[in-house]
Amino acid sequence: MGILNRATFAGGIHPPENKEFTQSCPIEPMPLPAQLTVPLSQHLGAPCKPVVGKKEAVKAGQLIGSSDAFVSAPVHSPADGTVKDIALVPHPVIGRTLAVIIDVDRENANPKQPCCERFDENFNPRKWTIEQICTAVHRAGIVGMGGAGFPTRVKIEPNPSMPKEILVINGCECEPFITCDYRVMLEWTWQVLAGIRLAARAAEVGRVIIGIEDNKPDAIEVFRQAIASCPEGENIQIVAVKTKYPQGGERQLIKSVLKKTVPAGSIPPTIGVCVLNVATCAAIAEAVALGTPLTHRVISVTGRAIGRPGNYYVPIGISAKDTIEHCGGLTETAAKVVLGGPMMGFAIADMSTPLTKTSGALTFLTRKEVTEARFRRRQTPCIRCGRCLSACPENLNPTKIAHAVKAGRGDLAQRYYMTACTECGCCSYVCPANIEITGYIKTGKLQLARANKKV
Amino acid sequence: MLSKITVSPAPHIGQPLSTQRVMLDVLIGLAPAIAASMYFFRWYAATVIAVCVAGCLLGEWVCNLLRRRPSSLSDLSAVVTGVILALSLPPAVPLWVAAMGGVFAIVIVKMLFGGLGSNIFNPAMASRAFLTASFGVLMTTWTTPATLDAKMGQVAIANTSATTQATPLAWAKMALKGQAPSKEVSKLAIPSFWGQEGGCLGETSAAALLIGGLYLLVRRTITWHIPAAVLVSAGAVAAIGWLIKPDAYVSPALHLAGGGLMLCAFFIATDPVTAPLTKKGMLLFGAGVGILIMLIRLLGQYPEGVMYAVLIMNAFTPLIDRLCRLTPAGGRPNV
Repeated sequence: MGILNRATFAGGIHPPENKEFTQSCPIEPMPLPAQLTVPLSQHLGAPCKPVVGKKEAVKAGQLIGSSDAFVSAPVHSPADGTVKDIALVPHPVIGRTLAVIIDVDRENANPKQPCCERFDENFNPRKWTIEQICTAVHRAGIVGMGGAGFPTRVKIEPNPSMPKEILVINGCECEPFITCDYRVMLEWTWQVLAGIRLAARAAEVGRVIIGIEDNKPDAIEVFRQAIASCPEGENIQIVAVKTKYPQGGERQLIKSVLKKTVPAGSIPPTIGVCVLNVATCAAIAEAVALGTPLTHRVISVTGRAIGRPGNYYVPIGISAKDTIEHCGGLTETAAKVVLGGPMMGFAIADMSTPLTKTSGALTFLTRKEVTEARFRRRQTPCIRCGRCLSACPENLNPTKIAHAVKAGRGDLAQRYYMTACTECGCCSYVCPANIEITGYIKTGKLQLARANKKV
Repeated sequence: MLSKITVSPAPHIGQPLSTQRVMLDVLIGLAPAIAASMYFFRWYAATVIAVCVAGCLLGEWVCNLLRRRPSSLSDLSAVVTGVILALSLPPAVPLWVAAMGGVFAIVIVKMLFGGLGSNIFNPAMASRAFLTASFGVLMTTWTTPATLDAKMGQVAIANTSATTQATPLAWAKMALKGQAPSKEVSKLAIPSFWGQEGGCLGETSAAALLIGGLYLLVRRTITWHIPAAVLVSAGAVAAIGWLIKPDAYVSPALHLAGGGLMLCAFFIATDPVTAPLTKKGMLLFGAGVGILIMLIRLLGQYPEGVMYAVLIMNAFTPLIDRLCRLTPAGGRPNV
């Protein structure tokens, strides 16, 4: 594909990639910490109820929380140990959440190792029925690991009212700094491919498209070769998409690879598309083939303000503090700890915050980066330059929405289609007046949700 | 180790860009025109620019003081207003008029409407309109560029004064009334482009304005939409007139190079505060400015129409913004 017609979408930005900190670091299993704090709400949908009691002994992989709601995913213990407490803990996104706190039996428990060597080109997804795959995915508690955390079972299982035609696999990883998906694609290629084929089988789709940003040529090449030697390879296509933020947003990726637009305020299944992240596919393969629940994931610990950046295979529920300690501690210049990437991640203040199934990274920004970027500079009035309009991948008018929210006019914000915003942060990134446009829009959405609840 | 951790909403990184930097870029873009005005009008230019900028800064400082707001002098927007106002004034304008113009632009046109980002009209143009209405004669006395012989030879009509001279556009108006040969007047296009003609401080050299405008485009301080729409629409109207009646109307080249068209296209109409937000709106706005300029020049009483064209289109900006509202990708959301 030529430079001029590279698959992409309109709008977006080109922030410095900063992937060099961790892109060449192989995935490394992290030793078990003394304590794990496993949140009972790590996904969209209903939170889980604990099914274990205080002082109860738990085994690695044992179910510790579940819910009967359709849109939900169970949680499991990542290691052997005893339940110390079930208490409210800080959660980066929703503030506070109930969590199962486990004292890890470090003398007898070994950290879990990646299982990628169990998969190769001879993997046969037809050994399992569609129902078996869906049940295994649900039981393993798999949720979208790219960030949103939508329960994967709901996404892939056959739905007669919205039949799926195409499965799009998201290997873009457009956020600056983060490299966990890149390493998973390079090192766990066969496992990811097995997961893709299982998901394609469960969703009954004829076509699979893997979208990878063109700043990862080796990942594209590894997948090309793997697909060439894989039995169902002819149905799987790889598209090198333009390196641009937010290419990995599912609406943007669908636009790039299919030239189709998901209706505003709607979800991909309405146009027959299912989007899965590569790490989620790896989890699907493990859950179906080996029956292992989702208790570990790969994260990038990255940035200029951390001693030993790298890609780590961590137990879910490890605290930011334990992760920092294992990775050589913060440097003197550390000013901001972000759970996730710098564009959409959440800045955390409490280092006891646990990592969840959706945390792809811990990014550590220095005082210099923080001040240079925006935060020390004063917010000045909007000069109506229109940069946010050009950068918005959803073709919205971010400044008008932000001003409406600021003025307490939710109705006006709605007239400017506030709910179509994906909160990618491009508007705030380009704003010369340092207005927290995305922040205002998020606030407006929260206010709207609260107002709707009251009615 | 966790003594000072910042928490703020995402995104946590940003482009190294500020309002101050945007304004600084505009000033850099204006530098060639400032240099040209100093070359052609010597100390007149330097003092008028200095006085206008001082007037603007004074107005801004006093208003901040009265409104008990933090000082906004450092965002440089007042300096930009001052320079643009000065460049649109005649070189021999009395300094007290220039100072009054600077204060009026900031206090009345900008601050009374709520300060930076809230004004409806372009401060420099509204202030110039005020000065024209109040001091008509002073605002239309044109000094000959210092680099030229005062006795202009190109057009065979004697100047009334040795130190003042009609601008190319005034000649064009005379040609329209049959008082000057339009073919001869059209030849003024080339000296107008380089700046060897009378006119306002910054309007004389179209070349210098073009260089500055290109700088703004390269720096992406402005987009191409407004300048292109202004120049194309003005050129088109001028060409139509010229093709229909070449005896009365001067060539489009003179209209593009003469007067304040270049200054308007790149620096005045592109003022983000008073121009529409969307690309489509910018094209519409620019086309409106270009057409109005030419209608005033060709059919109106005044030889030059930049000021009123910009002010009229500024008034239409909210309507244009409403007309060109964006639809979100994938149509209207269902919630």
